[in-house]
Order: sequence, then structure tokens, then C-alpha cells
Amino acid sequence: MPSPEPSAGMPPCVLEDMPPPPAGMPLIVDFENVTKTYDAGTPRAFTSITDINFKVEDRPKIGEFVGVLGPSGCGKSTVLRLIAGLAPHFPQTMGKVFVNEQPVQGPGPDRGFVFQDYSNFPNRTVIDNVAFGLECAHVEEKERKAKAMEWIQKVGLDAKRDGLKYPHQLSGGMNQRVAIARTLIMQPKIILMDEPFGALDPTTRQSMQDLLVSLWRELEATVFFVTHDIAEAVYLSDRMYIFSPSPGTIRHQLKITPADRPARQMQAERSFQESVLAVRDILEKLELEKAALAAKGSPK
Amino acid sequence: MPETEIAKTTPSKPSVWSNWLGRARTIRDVPPQLESWMFGLAFMGLALVVWYLVTAEWNGERFMPRYKLPSPGETFASFPSLWFDRALSLSAIASLARVLGGFMLTAAIGIPLGIIAGCYLRVNAFLKPLSVFGRSVPIAALVPLTMIWFGLGEVQKVMFIFIATVAYVLFDTTNAVQAVPDRFLDTGYTLGAHRTRAKGARRATFFALIYALIFSFGLFALDDQSESHGLLRGMAGSSFWLHALFGLTLGFLLWYPIQSHQLLRKVLLPLALPDIINNLRLVFGVAFGYIMLAEVIDAKRGLGFIIIQSQRVGPREHIYLCLIIITLLAYGIDQGIRVLQRKFFPYLKNAES
Ligand SMILES: Nc1ncnc2c1ncn2[C@@H]1O[C@H](COP(=O)(O)OP(=O)(O)OP(=O)(O)O)[C@@H](O)[C@H]1O
Ligand SMILES: [Mg+2]
Repeated sequence: MPSPEPSAGMPPCVLEDMPPPPAGMPLIVDFENVTKTYDAGTPRAFTSITDINFKVEDRPKIGEFVGVLGPSGCGKSTVLRLIAGLAPHFPQTMGKVFVNEQPVQGPGPDRGFVFQDYSNFPNRTVIDNVAFGLECAHVEEKERKAKAMEWIQKVGLDAKRDGLKYPHQLSGGMNQRVAIARTLIMQPKIILMDEPFGALDPTTRQSMQDLLVSLWRELEATVFFVTHDIAEAVYLSDRMYIFSPSPGTIRHQLKITPADRPARQMQAERSFQESVLAVRDILEKLELEKAALAAKGSPK
Repeated sequence: MPETEIAKTTPSKPSVWSNWLGRARTIRDVPPQLESWMFGLAFMGLALVVWYLVTAEWNGERFMPRYKLPSPGETFASFPSLWFDRALSLSAIASLARVLGGFMLTAAIGIPLGIIAGCYLRVNAFLKPLSVFGRSVPIAALVPLTMIWFGLGEVQKVMFIFIATVAYVLFDTTNAVQAVPDRFLDTGYTLGAHRTRAKGARRATFFALIYALIFSFGLFALDDQSESHGLLRGMAGSSFWLHALFGLTLGFLLWYPIQSHQLLRKVLLPLALPDIINNLRLVFGVAFGYIMLAEVIDAKRGLGFIIIQSQRVGPREHIYLCLIIITLLAYGIDQGIRVLQRKFFPYLKNAES
């Protein structure tokens, strides 16, 4: 049952338009008129995102949680992969992508990525999967194993029991915990998550959300989080970007009360559910727009 | 409900039988291991019975005369003469050594080149004509050609196996590397996999030294005069060091690109390796068949040589024995590799096929 009032002493969940960033603040991610066109100049040319503009300030010691929502195919993954510098989405066709005020050159360990597909290396044990990044950075074996064990424990797995297992011996939720551990162990200042919990059941999902919030606090990183689950986005985000249908561009930038209490508790409050409804309304309008676009585009 | 009652009144035997029949008729029902073996044995028993029947005497006459198809008894009775008079074991070892030699060369060149081609698509495009040509050229035509190029000795047999198989291994390896899903590359990159030139050069040098050893000593051992020359005189010759230098260069060039990038060394190579080994196993079986082609012409020993001798001067029984032995040998090696596969790739749920 939704409780009518927010829990004692906690602010209600509020949705409001994002104010423009104060001038002079350093930016951690900055998109300037970014457009991506595949097969440009051929009859098959296809524009997936167009004229994307946003700025996320660098807030040292705090970080920020950016939820990314939008109809399917609008270019959410494209934006994340442009930040990460991953082909074929990177490089953009037009515009500029800056990370820490530097143009993105390619992928690197300063930007962690958690993918929707289970992408743990099947030939490595859980420990070796989590230690992969440190191994690439030439950290000595003993040190990186110890650190890996520590992170396996942090994401809620049993380092002793699960550490020597292979990914195929783990459940989907456990696999995503390993993926989170192997990303966070590098202590990236930017974490990109593309529907990381998309394949998980609702209960596992909620506990993963809580896990994410607690770990993220500790890392003080800026997180970009793509999801189709509106409640998840409203719960986790400090800021939310809502994309228009393809060719995608950012339609709404919203500011939301941060997740400062457990998912189960906060998601039962009325103000939270009203926010979810408001976002759902926006998305439903966008879906209608998408359908109208498709209807206009098809006859010819 | 009535079904369970019938099962109760007429217990055990018929229900076990109909149960089994039901499972046997189910598409993709997996039989117990023991049952699978029984079916395999049943086929061999059936083949033996047919063999026995078509070669048995009925009123002093047999359906198949002895010079065409000897009976099982006659065939197995000729084993001692095959073993002692024809020195079966020496021939088997000779054939195996030729295949292994050629195959080692194939693996040493085809695998690294295939990995590079699987990663760098321009190299792949460059090598494509080679693999298309190599896989469609008629293998039997290579026998006379390799004789023209390499003479009649052991070098010819090893080179024949190499030329006949390298295109397949190259192609399969390229495919295995390309089949590694992109998400593992993305994961590797975002966790910081990068080029490591100094470390790569060190590791490639290690490989280069092994190649130098293989080429210098291997080619020396294949030389027909090697026994009379002796190793020391061989090492004094300039060709010995030329071969070593060649191996050194080749090994470095082939392995530096692989060892100098963490993504290749830590991600693509280990992920593609089970597939690569599996394909290697399949090609090895084929290569073992090819060697017979090279051995029927002017060999001094080898299983192919025994077969052609038995056809010319008899006894014909030896041909059949050799066929059985070749299959057993090939099967044994295949099983051996599979055991190793399971040991080295414990994460493969189904290291089969
Ligand atoms: N390599 C490619 N070549 C051509 N078009 C592509 C390519 N990759 C993506 N696209 C197109 O770009 C558009 C945006 O893709 P993207 O994966 O970013 O969408 P998304 O918002 O993440 O969708 P979803 O919610 O379904 O994951 C899609 O219409 C897709 O068809
Ligand atoms: Mg996507």
C-alpha cells in the first residue's frame, strides 16, 4: 500500500526542469550538437541521433546519477557508446563529445561500461574476471587477486564460494554483480550502464538497485544509466534525460530527488508514484509521436 | 487414471519395455552412456556378421572369393605376418611422424596467421585468395607437384601435408577469431586493454626461438642424408643456420602482432582457442587420410606403402588390417585430443562434437 506521506524527515520525491549549469563549472561530460549518421552519402544513409546537446558538471566527491529514458531505437545506447568511445557508434559524424573537457579519442578504463548482455569472459573464473582490468594495468597478481576478492564481497557475492566459479555456473543476477564488480574495481569517474538489469526479475532488480546506490556513493562517480523501467529511473536518478523518437534528440532534462532511502521504501511513497506517472505520461506522448512518424514515413 | 491402474495390474516388464520404446521414439531423447555404447557395439557386431556371412563357405563355394574379400578369420590370422614381416609398427610410426611433422608446420603458420587475419580485416582480405585457392585445389594433384618441388624423400611428404592442410587451418582460425562476440571486445577495451610493445617483443622473441629450433633441427632431421652426416657436421653447414634464421624471423613476425596487444592475447586468443583446437582436430583426421596418397608412390615405409604392396604382391588380408588399424589410430588420437580439450577448457559446458 502506498503510504500517503514521505517517511518521516525525508523530502518528497519532486520532479522539475533542469536548470542550466552555472557558468564556469568544470564539465565531466559535454555533448555539443552531436549527430550520428550511418552510411552517410549513400541511399542507405540513416541518422540515429541528431543535434544532441547536454552538459553534466563535474561534482567532485559527489558525482551524479543520470537516468536516460526514451522510446526503443531512439539512440540511448549510441550516446553511451559515444562517451565510452566504442565503435561503430564512435566517432560521431558531426558535433563534439568532451569528457573532462577533452575530446574523446577512444575507449579507456576511466569510463567503465556495464552491458545488458552478460559479457563476463567465459574462460575466466569470477576472480579473474573481476581482476581483468587490474591485470591489463600490470598490477601484480597477489595484489589484484586480493582486491578482486574484496570487490566480489562488496557486490554481495561470496568470494570464497563463488570466486573460483566460471560465469556459466552463475545465475543472471550473479553475472551482473560480477560485471559491476569488474567495472567498479577500476574506480572509473564515469560509469556507463546500458540496461544492466534488463534481464533480471523484479525482486533481484530491486536489490541490485540498492546495491548500486550504496556502491556509487562510495565511488563518487558520474553514472549514466539507460533503462526502460520508469520506476527504476525515477528512483536512481538525480537527473533524467528523455529522448525523442528516432532520430533521437534530448527532449526533456529533469531534476529529481536523489535516491536517499531503500528502493522498497521510497517506491511505496505517493510523491514517488506521482513522479513515475508524470514521466510515464511524457513517454506515452513520445510513443504516440513515434507511431505518427512511422505512419507518415511508410506510404511511398 | 485408467492408465495408472493398468500399470499397477501388469507390473514391471511390459511397462519398462514400452517406456523404453517411448523414449527411443522421442526426438532428441538422450540415451544413457551405456546404452549409446551398446548401440555402437551392435553396429560393429552387425558389420562382422555380414562380413562373416558373405565370406563363409556354403557347399564349398563362397559369395566373395578370398582374393577379393578375405573372411574375418583369415584377416585376423594374417596379423602376425603384418607385424613381423612387414614391420607394421615402424610403418605406423613413419606415417604418424610425417603427418605430425606436416601438421606442426601447418599449425605453426596457419594459427598465428589466422588470428592476425581474424583481427585485422585487411590482412584477411589479402589472404583470402590463398585460402579460397588452397581449399578448392584438388589434393591428389599436389602429390606429383610436391615430388617435382621437393623430390621423393621425407621433405616431400611433410610439405605435402602442410600444403594440403594449411589453407583449412588458416580459414578456420580466422573464422573462430571473428566469431568471438563484439561485446567481449567492448568489455576488454573499457577495462583498459591496450598495446604493450615491449612486453610483446619479449614474448614474440620467445616464440621466435622455438620456431628457429623447429626449422633448423626439424629440416635437418628430414634430410635423407642426416644419419650419415651426423648432427655436428650438419650444424657446421650454412643451410642449418639459414633455416634457423628463417624460423627466427618468421616466428617473430607471426607472434609479435598477437603478443603485443592485450586484447588479442588476453581476450580474442583464449576465447577462440577452443574452436581453433577443435578445427585442428578435425583437419588432423583428414590429414591422416591424405598421407596415404603420398605414400602409395615411392615410399620405403608407411601404412600407405604397406597397402599398395599388399595390393601388388599380397596378401590382400593386410589391406583390410591396415584399414582397421588406421581408423583405430585416428580414433585414438582424436579421443586423446578431446581428453586434453576437457582438461584445458574446463569452462566449456559441452566440449564435444
Ligand atoms: N551499426 C549500425 N548501423 C546502422 N544503424 C545502427 C547501427 N547501430 C545502431 N543503429 C541504429 O541507430 C538507432 C539507435 O540505436 P540505439 O541502439 O542507440 O538505440 P536505443 O535507444 O539504445 O534502443 P533500445 O532501447 O532498443 O536499446 C537505431 O534505430 C538503430 O537501428
Ligand atoms: Mg540500447
